Amino acid sequence: FSGAGGGNDIQWCFSQVKGAVDDDVAEADIISTVEFNHSGELLATGDKGGRVVIFQQEQENKTQSHSRGEYNVYSTFQSHEPEFDYLKSLEIEEKINKIRWLPQKNAAQFLLSTNDKTIKLWKISERDKRPEGYNLKEEDGRYRDPTTVTTLRVPVFRPMDLMVEASPRRIFANAHTYHINSISINSDYETYLSADDLRINLWHLEITDRSFNIVDIKPANMEELTEVITAAEFHPNSCNTFVYSSSKGTIRLCDMRASALCDRHSKLFEEPEDPSNRSFFSEIISSISDVKFSHSGRYMMTRDYLSVKIWDLNMENRPVETYQVHEYLRSKLCSLYENDCIFDKFECCWNGSDRQVSFSSTHTIVMTGSYNNFFRMFDRNTKRDITLEASRENNKPRTVLKPRKVCASGKRKKDEISVDSLDFNKKILHTAWHPKENIIAVATTNNLYIFQDKMN
Amino acid sequence: MLGKGGKRKFDEHEDGLEGKVVSPTDGPSKVSYTLQRQTIFNISLMKLYNHRPLTEPSLQKTVLINNMLRRIQEELKQEGSLRPVFVTASQPADPLSDNFREAQPAFSHLASQPLLPTDFVSTTPLESCLTPASLLEDDTFCTSPAVQHEGPTKPPPPALQPVKDSFSSALDEIEELCPAPTSAEAAAAQTAAGDSKDHASESSVQKPEGFPESRAAEPKLMDSLPGNFEVTASTGFLTDLTLDDILFADIDTSMYDFDPCTSATGAASKVAPVSADELLKTLAPYSSQPVTPNQPFKMDLTELDHIMEVLVGS
Repeated sequence: FSGAGGGNDIQWCFSQVKGAVDDDVAEADIISTVEFNHSGELLATGDKGGRVVIFQQEQENKTQSHSRGEYNVYSTFQSHEPEFDYLKSLEIEEKINKIRWLPQKNAAQFLLSTNDKTIKLWKISERDKRPEGYNLKEEDGRYRDPTTVTTLRVPVFRPMDLMVEASPRRIFANAHTYHINSISINSDYETYLSADDLRINLWHLEITDRSFNIVDIKPANMEELTEVITAAEFHPNSCNTFVYSSSKGTIRLCDMRASALCDRHSKLFEEPEDPSNRSFFSEIISSISDVKFSHSGRYMMTRDYLSVKIWDLNMENRPVETYQVHEYLRSKLCSLYENDCIFDKFECCWNGSDRQVSFSSTHTIVMTGSYNNFFRMFDRNTKRDITLEASRENNKPRTVLKPRKVCASGKRKKDEISVDSLDFNKKILHTAWHPKENIIAVATTNNLYIFQDKMN
Repeated sequence: MLGKGGKRKFDEHEDGLEGKVVSPTDGPSKVSYTLQRQTIFNISLMKLYNHRPLTEPSLQKTVLINNMLRRIQEELKQEGSLRPVFVTASQPADPLSDNFREAQPAFSHLASQPLLPTDFVSTTPLESCLTPASLLEDDTFCTSPAVQHEGPTKPPPPALQPVKDSFSSALDEIEELCPAPTSAEAAAAQTAAGDSKDHASESSVQKPEGFPESRAAEPKLMDSLPGNFEVTASTGFLTDLTLDDILFADIDTSMYDFDPCTSATGAASKVAPVSADELLKTLAPYSSQPVTPNQPFKMDLTELDHIMEVLVGS
């Protein structure tokens, strides 16, 4: 890859891995979302058990100039609990579908976490001092006998061991009939949207008892339902603009100034189907699993089952770039349909935005996951791509990752893996890129891997 | 299925299921295309009806599978291999009896035996097994009409035939409102209609709206499928509840009512996603108990239909 500073490729090195070592994966430990905060200092993960674990990057050690700070557990809390919908006799999963950080405004950190039905605003704050020297209370909390108080003193704050507290500040509930798949904070930092299969709601961060429905694609007759919303995101700069993707491979851009209910899109992004690739599974593999705006807002990236596409917002009829993630799976779609893998929802992410060459687009590299614990990166400038593996084997800190290759057909070369040997239970659905540095977080089923570029 | 680590030999016949996309117009590969299509069709059905989640199944997945089934059925229809959807009650099921017998094992042993392509060589039994979507909206399981139709052909359960008659008679009122293509179809609809009123679900309100539409529509083959949406993505949420729901939010005795007519649909309708196990339970009465239908059931059906019409104003 071309790094920002010159023509050097990024060499990715193993840095850390978090999570249980044994192969027996506890269901609750399955990671369901990964997200860096705006500074990159904090890294949050959500799991199927409804827990949020936040890692904090150590301050860079000046003596150890060859590695950036490590991420250590900062806070762990139970965000959502399982619930029961009595009306339908169904459980509501506590699995955290998405976490989104708010930009930091004061000492505390705020994030939104959501399961299928309820969004919660969490405040994560540090406490490193406590007041001592009360007049009416002993240090252990017992009340003093007032008659024994002969002098008055002013309580003072004394340092204590750092305590990180997470408290739910807002609970946004009862607004979604269907399963929430996305939340996105608006650039006004006051409102955010939540999207489920058929509707998108607009919330104010301060108001929990009211939300506005801005998109509703539920047909009057459910028999006519053929398309669902799969992802939604606010434009990074225009607070009136958002996009949502569908199971039919379309992306709609809506302007909230146009009407209260944005049922009519302002732009419709759809690539005509390639007739030579047509199959029974064309529709399913066209279903978009993730959509992400670039920082400039000029481009957006979408992920469908086999590819990553970059769209220019000014061109609706086709993407400007398409990258094949695992084209070798195209001939296996029937089996993947049978074992449900074809419904896996892979996410995608841009690289960080800070260190960029001025004339090229803001983002040069896109990353997404695949099977067999492989993940892929595509350099938009050089058009080169790389496949890496997240694995505990052969991964010592600062070991450069070896590129992997899948052999689609024919003779398998040494070190290549044949398609039939891929482990489809080891899928990387969630990846995240540090907003400023070349640090990436890659989630396997129940482990979180952190890789850094090799610093010289 | 994809192997893990094992070396596979090149199989010349593999292209029938995997490999390149086969166009329906290719001469020699048309068979493999048909085979592939049939396989996918069966897999899709299995996915929809073998699902037993404790949580709600993914609406996206259901939609995509339904679209797949619809597309295949559309193709089949265009190829002319479809026969009329529903058999009238008056028509003896004999012409289709062999088909029903073939279909029977597939449905009654859903959990233990995969649907064999041969079971659906003729698509008619499949079609007649599928309920119009509007009925599915009432959370009734789609195979209940199948069981109904199996009644005339299989010795157990004889109860079904009299039940059908009661349906036919009870339908007269409703048929005045809109054209009913076949009485059997209406009978199938009626099963659902009758049962759906028993339980508190918003779909009971929606039923009358979808109900006349679907009966008046073309072969319900395609329509029947999306009804799963209501089964699986039940709209019984607080925000969607209307007064009618509360009115009908009476005791749902369908679970405890062992009349095969109601238990088939009632049991299934109570819980939105129907599992193979539940299907087996509902089918069990049909195969083992020759229970006579009850007259009160017939009358309740008529009355409830009438009430529904008045309320919904259809």
